Amino acid sequence: MATDSILKPRSGHKAIRVGDGGTPSIEGFRCNVCGAATCDKTMACRNCGSRDALTSFRGAETGKVFTWTVVHRSYPGIKVPFVSAIVDLDDGLALKGTLRNVDPGAVRPGMPVRVIFDDAGGACDSEGAPYVGFHFEPEGISA
Amino acid sequence: MSDAFIVGADMIKFGRYPDRTPFELAAEAALLALDDAGLSIRDVQAVYAGSTFNSASMVAQRMLQLIGQTGADCVNVSNACAAGATAVRQAILAVKSGEYDVVLAVGAEKNPRGLMGGPRTEGPPPESLFGSVAPPSIFAEAGMVHANRYGTTIEQFAQVAVKNHHHATLNPKAAYRTETPLEEVLASEMIAWPLTKLMCSPNVDGAAAVIVVSEKKARELGLTRAVRIRGSALVSDPYEPRSPELFDPNTVTRLAASKAYAMAGIGPEDLDMVELHDCFATAELLHYENLGLCADGQAGRLIDSGDTALGGRIPVNVSGGLLAKGHPIGATGVANIVEIVYHLRGEVGARQVAGARIGLAHVLGFAGVSASAVHILEKARA
Repeated sequence: MATDSILKPRSGHKAIRVGDGGTPSIEGFRCNVCGAATCDKTMACRNCGSRDALTSFRGAETGKVFTWTVVHRSYPGIKVPFVSAIVDLDDGLALKGTLRNVDPGAVRPGMPVRVIFDDAGGACDSEGAPYVGFHFEPEGISA
Repeated sequence: MSDAFIVGADMIKFGRYPDRTPFELAAEAALLALDDAGLSIRDVQAVYAGSTFNSASMVAQRMLQLIGQTGADCVNVSNACAAGATAVRQAILAVKSGEYDVVLAVGAEKNPRGLMGGPRTEGPPPESLFGSVAPPSIFAEAGMVHANRYGTTIEQFAQVAVKNHHHATLNPKAAYRTETPLEEVLASEMIAWPLTKLMCSPNVDGAAAVIVVSEKKARELGLTRAVRIRGSALVSDPYEPRSPELFDPNTVTRLAASKAYAMAGIGPEDLDMVELHDCFATAELLHYENLGLCADGQAGRLIDSGDTALGGRIPVNVSGGLLAKGHPIGATGVANIVEIVYHLRGEVGARQVAGARIGLAHVLGFAGVSASAVHILEKARA
């Protein structure tokens, strides 16, 4: 039996929800009035200002590349190059993330990708609890 | 409400000032602008000081300690790269309100060195785990939206750097004054595709100042060299579905531009020159369309045509722009306005836009969210 210790994984990103069993998913919030969706839990709808409760929903883990860049110069200690991409998830959320396991020169707008949850580069909080992260991969690479 | 006029405008040469404080830079720019107007610090009723990295240390008061503690009203403003333009706009509003006749707006900055916007403190550092938060990456992604939609090429983005570096060779106050031919721009270090190093604005220090006065005061001083504020707009970024995951420099700029054009009662076809926020070469092409200098999708064609170079139909960034004049964050918004004033007075020498009568100055402040300011200036009629 898996032990759910105090070291339960923590979300390493605002869009990741870690469920009771430690299972990660993408979480979005949709306005009950205008339908605008975002990864941020806001106090009122960002689009229409409505203070009706936003509804949390489980976000899609598939989507298409909208835009990207290949980063060749970053902050000290960051390994380059890597692909930074903004992906339109299939349910209307947009998400920025790193696109891995791809030839940077082969990235195209509309390229189908999938959200892959990961260990956030091995990062842990000050108590030692591991963070959950995510990256994108071209659709069809991982089963 | 009365009109507001600029009667004094100047800036220090942008560059590296390791041995000087931002307050000294602000003071020097303020004295230059006061001398330009023929006024003394004792004439100034209020000071608006724009700075981003130095604002918390009360730039306005520390500047007054260096040039005269008159007890003038003062406000320190911070609005990312729009801080300087925000200071000018607040000065304009203050004068138009009737509360003051003479207001000083100054922008000053000592920029931190290196790549800006470092990792946050809570949670795992996001850079490279969740894409990139570095400004060049963010403006590269915004440029790639244009490239994907319209086929804009890296050469077209690079031509912005070629043009603005050329313009800077004619500006003694620009930080970088060497020609950078297309091959050199393309061959410089790749930072974030399609931006090479020469397509990114350099972190330098600087300061610029303007004296904004009421119509009554402008008439008293004489209108010969005065410049009238025709339009002034400052807006925050409206909701956009992909924002803030995707940085959107367009919607906020279009909103500011439409407000400024409406206030001025003119359109982009009436402009003689533009100083816009070319923090990265991609941004200049996006703003051609955002400011209405060409139709959507035509920005690549516009830079290719040479119409935005000095001598062209609508010269853009004849100062050298942020790319070559340099980008001391809080000073930039004031400096863009100062450049327009120089030209409307016809006093700027080799890079003078012939017959310039109306000019537009634009900035975009970005720190995860945005602000954009657009000012439209016109040579005063005596």
